[in-house]
Amino acid sequence: MDDWKPSPLIKPYGARKKRSWYLTWKYKLTNQRSLRRFCQTGAVLFLLVTVIVNIKLILDTRRAISEANEDPEPEQDYDEALGHLEPKQQRGSGPRRVLDVEVYSSRSKVYVAVDGTTVLEDEAREQGRGIHVIVLNQATGHVMAKRVFDTYSPHEDEAMVLFLNMVAPGRVLICTVKDEGSFHLKDTAKALLKSLGSQAGPALGWRDTWAFVGQKGGPVLGEKHSKSPALSSWGDPVLLKTDVPLSSAEEAECHWADTELNRRRRRFCSKVEGYGSVCSCKDPTPIEFSPDPLPDNKVLNVPVAVIAANRPNYLYRMLRSLLSAQGVSPQMITVFIDGYYEEPMDVVALFGLRGIQHTPISIKNARVSQHYKASLTATFNLFPEAKFAVVLEEDLDIAVDFFSFLSQSIHLLEEDDSLYCISAWNDQGYEHTAEDPALLYRVETMPGLGWVLRKSLYKEELEPKWPTPEKLWDWDIWMRMPEQRRGRECIIPDVSRSYHFGIVGLNMNGYFHEAYFKKHKFNTVPGVQLRNVDSLKKDAYEVEIHRLLSKAEVLDHTKYPCEDSFVPDTEGHIYVAFIQMEKEDDFTTWTQLAKCLHIWDLDVRGNHKGLWRLFRKKNHFLVVGVPASPYSVKKPPSVIPIYLEPPPKEEGAPGAAEQT
Amino acid sequence: MSRISKNVILALFTLTSSAFLLFQLYYYKHYLSAKNGAALSKSKGSRIGFDSTQWEGWFPVAENMGFQCLKTESKDPRLDGIDSLSGTEIPLHCICKWATHAIHLVVFHGRSGSYLWHGHLRLKGHIDRKFVPFQKLQFGHYPGAFDRPELQQVTIDGLEILIPKDPVHFLEEVPHSRFIECRYKEARTFFQQYLDDNTVEAMTFQKSAKELLQLAAKTLNKLGIRFWLSSGTCLGWYRQCSIIPYSKDVDLGIFIQDYKSDIILAFQEAGLPLKHKFGKVEDSLELSFQGKDDVKLDIFFFYEDTDYMWNGGTQAKTGRKFKYLFPKFTLCWTEFVDMKVRVPCETIEYIEANYGKSWKIPIKTWDWKNSPPNVQPNGIWPISEWDDVIQLY
Repeated sequence: MDDWKPSPLIKPYGARKKRSWYLTWKYKLTNQRSLRRFCQTGAVLFLLVTVIVNIKLILDTRRAISEANEDPEPEQDYDEALGHLEPKQQRGSGPRRVLDVEVYSSRSKVYVAVDGTTVLEDEAREQGRGIHVIVLNQATGHVMAKRVFDTYSPHEDEAMVLFLNMVAPGRVLICTVKDEGSFHLKDTAKALLKSLGSQAGPALGWRDTWAFVGQKGGPVLGEKHSKSPALSSWGDPVLLKTDVPLSSAEEAECHWADTELNRRRRRFCSKVEGYGSVCSCKDPTPIEFSPDPLPDNKVLNVPVAVIAANRPNYLYRMLRSLLSAQGVSPQMITVFIDGYYEEPMDVVALFGLRGIQHTPISIKNARVSQHYKASLTATFNLFPEAKFAVVLEEDLDIAVDFFSFLSQSIHLLEEDDSLYCISAWNDQGYEHTAEDPALLYRVETMPGLGWVLRKSLYKEELEPKWPTPEKLWDWDIWMRMPEQRRGRECIIPDVSRSYHFGIVGLNMNGYFHEAYFKKHKFNTVPGVQLRNVDSLKKDAYEVEIHRLLSKAEVLDHTKYPCEDSFVPDTEGHIYVAFIQMEKEDDFTTWTQLAKCLHIWDLDVRGNHKGLWRLFRKKNHFLVVGVPASPYSVKKPPSVIPIYLEPPPKEEGAPGAAEQT
Repeated sequence: MSRISKNVILALFTLTSSAFLLFQLYYYKHYLSAKNGAALSKSKGSRIGFDSTQWEGWFPVAENMGFQCLKTESKDPRLDGIDSLSGTEIPLHCICKWATHAIHLVVFHGRSGSYLWHGHLRLKGHIDRKFVPFQKLQFGHYPGAFDRPELQQVTIDGLEILIPKDPVHFLEEVPHSRFIECRYKEARTFFQQYLDDNTVEAMTFQKSAKELLQLAAKTLNKLGIRFWLSSGTCLGWYRQCSIIPYSKDVDLGIFIQDYKSDIILAFQEAGLPLKHKFGKVEDSLELSFQGKDDVKLDIFFFYEDTDYMWNGGTQAKTGRKFKYLFPKFTLCWTEFVDMKVRVPCETIEYIEANYGKSWKIPIKTWDWKNSPPNVQPNGIWPISEWDDVIQLY
């Protein structure tokens, strides 16, 4: 206490005045010695007390701070941390209810600063081209969404329109162009920019720079634009500085009834943007779905692991469909997010589900693979009694009868050791090749995309030898390797119970999705009763195949199989074709046939002992590889197996494309 | 004049001190509100999950009835063993009081190995330490582990509630239920330093050792014999949360008072034939069973002396006896290879007695007669007893 010193900076002002005041006081008290003593002692005591209280307060504050710091807040990704900074004056609820916003647009760099905090900075080469859009909460100044639309490339402007339309009225919109943003900016998008009040946006030209701040459905708060003088050069960099008045919190929020659900909704909607009607004030989409319970649900207590990365919009769509599926039990769902991303976590919280974040390990495919391992291990740790786990990904739609399908088939996994998994996805189940939602197959390949994993398989075989982080392997390819699969098969439905909608992803792009995933058949019929499930067991299935082959009509092998007339225009028939397949791994003819049937041809999928089953024109169509398949015995001696020549030149092996 | 200045200084001190006090008070309030704000925003991220929402829904009801509730949560220990997962906080304890009565709700969580776990009731800084007499609570002084009880429905005071089918067993577990978590963080550091052995042999050994340990645990539990992880197995648990791949056996400890004569037979029936038996029940008993794939199960029996515990060793060729001394210890539960097993609660003392201060460094050559710092020669068996105390199969 002795070292406590008053701040030397604080000096008595008006010392003379004070002195005279003091003198009068002194004069008055001169004769009252005891009273003076008393006052002095009182002052000393008071001094002591204030000093002690001061010290206690200092200590308390320090403790409060150190406690706050002790909580190990997870490290956040750089831009996440930025996205979360709130303007300072929020706290003191000071009178200044204005944000000062800086927006910079140029050829090689864009940045946006809100109250001195950089919320966007992109000066990386060769990326981030186009229009960057930031949405701020008009009451808090919080960054609610951050997107970039490469409007130099086609269709990106459509995505921008879609996004801007989803933003709630009243939000603060910030746009800035990096490099080039006009080449594929079409009229619809320009009209939308005009409706936002922008002058330069609708007239944006080749390599112009442009910065814009405005309120959706409100005034323009600032705009700057610089025309490019020539085709080969860019507009001058523009820096827009403007003040954005903040509105009160009540104005910014909707008046939903105060329920637990709406509290979740409010929390979500005040944080993020771009989810459309879920945040609509008037008529918000429900976030709780009460699908009918499934009678005799065998998968009610099977944990569901949703593997996610940072695609919150996908996750939102996926969880909606999952929670709408009949027989879902939300408390069994865990979403595993690869990385400390806030927005996917917000989506998870919106639906009241359990979310777990995972510090990324390794890179690219190995990162995904490590994320899978951690997620699966965690799932079985969290549900120690579970014998199975359902594994889903964030870019899947889930069929309404997904759990019904699993409930009817899961006993196979328990009773038949020769099974590796049950999957909801048929690699060959396209709109023109799948027909019967009640039909199941056994296949030697592991499709993934919504599947059931047996705990014993994971714990005893897969987990101990899961690829380590330094091996840059895809987990699914690794799982398909013979060392892991060991001749076991998966059960799949003819008509898939999941739909792969993701078009952005590690191994995914728009073209690839269009070619291989878009036309996939997806069951939308609720409560389908699967037919003859026990015939999928190992021996019973052989009986079933022989029965089918005996009934099947042999197609005319003189015809070219790629021609439409190869399969007659009938309905409900069973047809069989025999193709050449010298050895177990000779898929030359099959690959060509798959190509002309427009089904999955990038590697071999959906086979069972050299037999493929699909539908053509509502007829069951069997393809048998001769002589490698044991079913070759069913080939009439007169029939010559079809041989299709591979294309003369190996033009760019398509092996790179793999589904994740 | 001097008095004047003295008084002036006094007044000045008082003034500045009060000013500073006001300033401090203002900031103190500010920090507190900031802190609360931070806690709130954190809860958004972590207190989600259906369990938690149900858990949250419980309080308004209790509070509306006039209860005052205190709840604690913590991160999920089931995720600790897995590299770098975080996210969900799980509820641990809730105490609701009403006048002089309090209800203590202990949340049991199921964990791998089919047992139930409850957390430690930790009083954090802001918790009112006089809310209830915490010392008198039955649960929460430590984390605890229990067998997963079968439940039955009973009606008490007209209320339908579930209780364990075997309440006696459950109650008997309570005093010995203390649980310690494996040191996952330290284990990760260990593997960063020494790397995990991923060879096929190492993994095969770990798998066989795990199966052997599980079989041994099952057999001993059936007999109702308490046992704990000892020697190398205990070191593996403590240091790396796994079986040391180059150890050749599984080591268990049993108190000699728990010895039952049918133990050998029980192991034989479980498919583990006796490999050797050294010593006798009165002195230095040690059993060794042959598991599959050449993995051995060693069971050391521990004897209690006035101020230490010890187990014995015997050299088959010479009949020499050894004594391994340990400071006294009690037993705790832990989770190891998907099982609930016991270890000495005073693990570090136990391990340091056995392996010295440098137990953190892996050593592949270990001579059980010379290497342990706690070994003492203990004479020699009289030749007349050899047939009995040195049995090799």
